[in-house]
Amino acid sequence: MAKKIVVDPITRIEGHLRIEAEVEGGKITNAWSSSTAFRGIETILKGRDPRDAHHFTQRFCGVCTTVHSMASIRAVEDALKIQVPDNARLIRNLIMGMQGVQDHVIHFYHLHALDWVDITSALKADPAKTSQIAQSISDWPKSSTDYFRQVQARIKAFAETGRLGPFQNAYWGHSAYKLEPEVNLIGLAHYLEALEAQKDMIKVHAILGSKNPHPQTFLVGGMSIPVDPDSQNAINADKIAWIRKLLRNARTFVEQVYIPDLLAVAPAYLDWAGIGGGVGNFLACGDFPTDNSPGTDSLFFPRGIIMGKDLANVMEMDETKITEYVTNSWYTYSNGDDKGLHPYEGETNDKYTGPKPPYEFLDTDSKYSWVKSPRYLDQPMEVGPLARVLVAYASGVPEVKAAVDYVLKTLNAPAAALFSTLGRTAARGVDALILAQKNELWLDQLADNMGRGILEVHNPEKWDPATWPKEARGFGYHEAPRGALGHWIRIEDQKIANYQAVVPSTWNAGPRDAHGQMGPYEAALIGTPIADPEKPVEILRTIHSFDPCLACAVH
Amino acid sequence: MKTDGSVSQVAIPEEILQRIESRGINRRDFIKFCMATTAALALPVTFVPKVAQALEDNRTPVIWLEFQSCSGDSEAFLRANQPTATELILDLISLEYAEVVMAAAGHLAEEAKHQALEKYHGKYILIVEGAIPTKDDGAYCTIAGQSAVASLKQAVAGAAATIAVGSCATSGGLPAAAPNPSGAASVSEIVPGATVVNLPGCPVNATNLTATIVHVLTFGKLPATDRLGRPLFAYGKRIHDNCERRGHFDAGQYAETFGDEAHRKGYCLYKLGCKGPETFHNCPTVRYNEGVSWPVMAGHGCIGCSEPGFWDTMSPFYRRLPKVPGFGIEDTADKIGIGLAAATAAAFAVHGVASCFRKGNPKDESKVIKED
Amino acid sequence: MLEIHYVWQWPVRIAHWINALCIVALSITGTYIGAPFSLGGGVNPYLMGWMRFVHFAAGYLFLVSVLSRILWMFIGNHHASWRAFLPWLTPKGRENFVRMFRYYTFTGNNISHESGHNPVAATAYLGIYALCLFQIFSGFALYGQFAPGGFWDSALGWIFPLLDNQYMRLGHHGVMWLLIGFFINHIYSAWLMDIKQKSGVMSGIVSGYRYIDPEDV
Ligand code: HEM
Ligand code: HEM
Ligand code: NFV
Ligand code: SF4
Ligand code: SF4
Ligand code: F3S
Ligand SMILES: [Mg+2]
Repeated sequence: MAKKIVVDPITRIEGHLRIEAEVEGGKITNAWSSSTAFRGIETILKGRDPRDAHHFTQRFCGVCTTVHSMASIRAVEDALKIQVPDNARLIRNLIMGMQGVQDHVIHFYHLHALDWVDITSALKADPAKTSQIAQSISDWPKSSTDYFRQVQARIKAFAETGRLGPFQNAYWGHSAYKLEPEVNLIGLAHYLEALEAQKDMIKVHAILGSKNPHPQTFLVGGMSIPVDPDSQNAINADKIAWIRKLLRNARTFVEQVYIPDLLAVAPAYLDWAGIGGGVGNFLACGDFPTDNSPGTDSLFFPRGIIMGKDLANVMEMDETKITEYVTNSWYTYSNGDDKGLHPYEGETNDKYTGPKPPYEFLDTDSKYSWVKSPRYLDQPMEVGPLARVLVAYASGVPEVKAAVDYVLKTLNAPAAALFSTLGRTAARGVDALILAQKNELWLDQLADNMGRGILEVHNPEKWDPATWPKEARGFGYHEAPRGALGHWIRIEDQKIANYQAVVPSTWNAGPRDAHGQMGPYEAALIGTPIADPEKPVEILRTIHSFDPCLACAVH
Repeated sequence: MKTDGSVSQVAIPEEILQRIESRGINRRDFIKFCMATTAALALPVTFVPKVAQALEDNRTPVIWLEFQSCSGDSEAFLRANQPTATELILDLISLEYAEVVMAAAGHLAEEAKHQALEKYHGKYILIVEGAIPTKDDGAYCTIAGQSAVASLKQAVAGAAATIAVGSCATSGGLPAAAPNPSGAASVSEIVPGATVVNLPGCPVNATNLTATIVHVLTFGKLPATDRLGRPLFAYGKRIHDNCERRGHFDAGQYAETFGDEAHRKGYCLYKLGCKGPETFHNCPTVRYNEGVSWPVMAGHGCIGCSEPGFWDTMSPFYRRLPKVPGFGIEDTADKIGIGLAAATAAAFAVHGVASCFRKGNPKDESKVIKED
Repeated sequence: MLEIHYVWQWPVRIAHWINALCIVALSITGTYIGAPFSLGGGVNPYLMGWMRFVHFAAGYLFLVSVLSRILWMFIGNHHASWRAFLPWLTPKGRENFVRMFRYYTFTGNNISHESGHNPVAATAYLGIYALCLFQIFSGFALYGQFAPGGFWDSALGWIFPLLDNQYMRLGHHGVMWLLIGFFINHIYSAWLMDIKQKSGVMSGIVSGYRYIDPEDV
């Protein structure tokens, strides 16, 4: 008999995710992914000013903050045919780029690392040996014996108080933890360093966006942060220099800490290159325009589709092929719940039919989640750094190819290893590295524009709603840290007539569709080994490798 | 009692410093931190030892509950500076439950929470992020099968103090914006009798959160608040009254469009919809991300994110006054007013013309003495 | 025979003209506060500062004037009395109200002749006093926000948790237009009645005297 286990809450993610799984013979045989919280922001947006939408949508999520502002204003700009000034493109690239880097650093260290790194084991490490290992894998200066001794002492003193706070009750000592104590100590030290580093790197958002989380300088038609070398109230040489320093520090952190750690931890877990593959279909909408031409040709990360893990064949991604199902989600469609709807026609009519709380199990035979089930040509698709990197890799983007090949070579693994829990985590590192390196280029271009007297940041032409057509509709895309994001807006009489978002975590965390096809989380869990059903750390590994964000997914 | 020579006024007892050092914390960092905290609380330096003592005492248990949130407030907490999240978690508080960072998951996470609720009954600080949905018996937000409403009530009952962080928890925030699809409510609405310190903002400014925690640790009581339960030290003044662009406001110098010369020069954003004149928050003085910036400084008006109901009352965000209820989206109070005045004038003009030609003078003509 | 009646006592007249002046000043400055025109760079005339100063100074004057007039409603003659603003409380008042209403709407040809307010005008004045009080209340409540815990905030700030700050502002702004609407109406009606009643309606509010035929009343 299969044993049904429940992990709720899945912690170290954003939002409220619940996994129910059947375990038989030490492996997961069936799985259900559910989000247990709903806000209804698509409904709230109806009837409002389209220029305000990005403030609302940005609050889909405070972790991947900015991304829903980006997609939202792109949707409105698409609907109203607005071309943004070059400076706005560059500032947006910088904000998006830094979002990617910082979000991935937090994910790797604070949300994912403790699935692989056993803190209690780190207390047994030899600081001298730790120092040796650290210096062998990176030039990062904080690597002396003394340093690691200090970190160890601090955590020891903390542990001796007997009050472990956020580290209590975890799966420490679980047989699935495979790292030697010294590598665990490096992981722990960098967990703490990353906590400091992330809040520094994100100051780029504060300078360009006023604050983080939830920067406030996005605008339909551009940005509201002025650039002017001759003003003390705008981005000037001083601010450029400050941003440059922050970008450089971020890049150094990724190059000297994140990537080496990733490559140091992975060899102990190479079996995870064969676990957690999932649906094997990948979708990327592409992002980071490299010039101001309309269309998607200039996107640094290309747009594309990979079906059935076939890297030889990258297909075109066409947003009109996207539909969302609510067959197993707590919504109803006016024309029946078994038909998918394209987002322009999308509906968000919440109707809870699950068990009355408190409950022990969901009724997984019928509707069981607040997440809808997006499909591309009726197929479930995985989105995220892995999809983005795979599409770029298969399309031959040189920087991405070089980085991926380097990682595969170092780990001595074939490209097929990427279709896995470990592959997902590695691809995220590659993504962070590439963005960290790209950022400085965009900053250079911005400075160059300013030097040539190009100061425009906002295109005011269509700012006044009186200039809008009576009806318009638009699609806004963005490669968010967790993957392909789309916002669809219909504008009528200067108001939002319909607003629908299909979010990375909607793609990944969604439940089964009308045809019974599992979503990517569910599919990835099938076959995952579970050593101890009471302590299913393996579920966390695969689920965390997607970097779930459920506030995003449901919104 | 020895004092640290470098900061002579600040007499932090040597014993405290030694104990702090034995926990692996640098003494200078600790002294600096105590001074910064004292300053953040607007206290005289003589309070530094008291603050130090409060911080050195056994870590106060903290339970952080997240409901209908975007986790932006949790993220803000991770960007805290004085003290940093690391210092808070390792040295100052004992974070018993916080979904975003805790290592435990599933029933073991819940077990940790229930142990803390029992063991520290009456002693823990409860921090709540996100609104609480009331529709369908609370089914619109459940954790471990329990509704947010039930979890909140249970946790508030044993809390020494409850701090609601972010506008969702303090007033319903985004989920409660019209038409409030999930019946979202604030902490105070769900637990009306409880003493709740409200720290609105979207997200909360980490500095205001840490200062509130330290205030509680230092004085053993909650900070003084305004009518909406917001601490005066952070919400006691309007943005507009502390704004660096106020000089331009008074002078009559306004940015007219984004990116115009006035905008680049840092003129006032009033005409671009800034809600600083109606928003109580310390953004201009504390700023965000270690004092780097804040919305107005970066050229975008305040959207009033610390005011209850701001999603409805402060929008449309690029217009200064809200939509006139019952009128179209582009009708401003002035358009409607001018229309009204014009209609009145027209009506009376017609009335006047009609009256001139009106037959039958109501003043009885026979009574009027006509002079030749 | 026409009799000369001393109708409007001096406090009524003074309050009337101070009120009228204040409303004009408050509307001009309020319009600027609500939608300032930009002066751009160069000179620094402190224009918004002055506008707000005049607005608040006029606001205080208006407060004193309106309150004095309200006080006089309990001291002054029967034309000044608060009862004069509630004409429909008496049968005669109701009758005259209907007559005047019909006259204004061209459905009747008779007007009522009284030495004080005509009943329709009196009703309008009641509304105007309510609007003035609302402006004073909302104005000082908004004013108090610059100093939380200060006098005005302590006295009026309790309103904000009940009625949002932004709607208070919108109301304060919108009522200005109602007052402007009244202004147009008021001057026209005074002019109309001056001509039709021939009882010195216009000059009365300056001199205090009106010319009444006792038989009309
Ligand atoms: C007939 C009477 C009044 C009129 C027509 C009037 C008109 C206005 C208008 C149109 C505004 C601009 C509102 C906006 O768009 O935000 C305003 C603002 C204001 N008024 Fe008045 N007002 C009147 C009486 C008062 C009084 C008695 C006070 C009391 C002091 C007052 C205090 C204010 C304040 C504090 C503001 C906000 C100004 C700021 O802080 O920038 N008003 N008024
Ligand atoms: C050219 C300017 C004005 C003239 C000639 C004028 C004339 C008059 C007259 C004749 C009356 C007495 C009406 C009656 O007996 O029925 C009166 C009363 C009144 N007027 Fe005016 N008025 C003027 C401006 C204003 C303005 C600007 C306001 C304010 C918006 C105003 C507010 C009032 C009020 C509230 C009353 C009731 C008097 C009371 O008993 O206090 N007037 N006015
Ligand atoms: N899924 C998701 Fe997001 C991201 N990255 C959204 O677009 O996390 Ni909050
Ligand atoms: S208050 Fe703002 S930041 Fe906090 S949970 Fe709500 S939407 Fe997110
Ligand atoms: S920018 Fe906003 S807060 Fe600052 S002075 Fe102008 S209106 Fe006030
Ligand atoms: S939008 Fe919020 S962050 Fe401050 S400036 Fe306004 S209160
Ligand atoms: Mg959606």
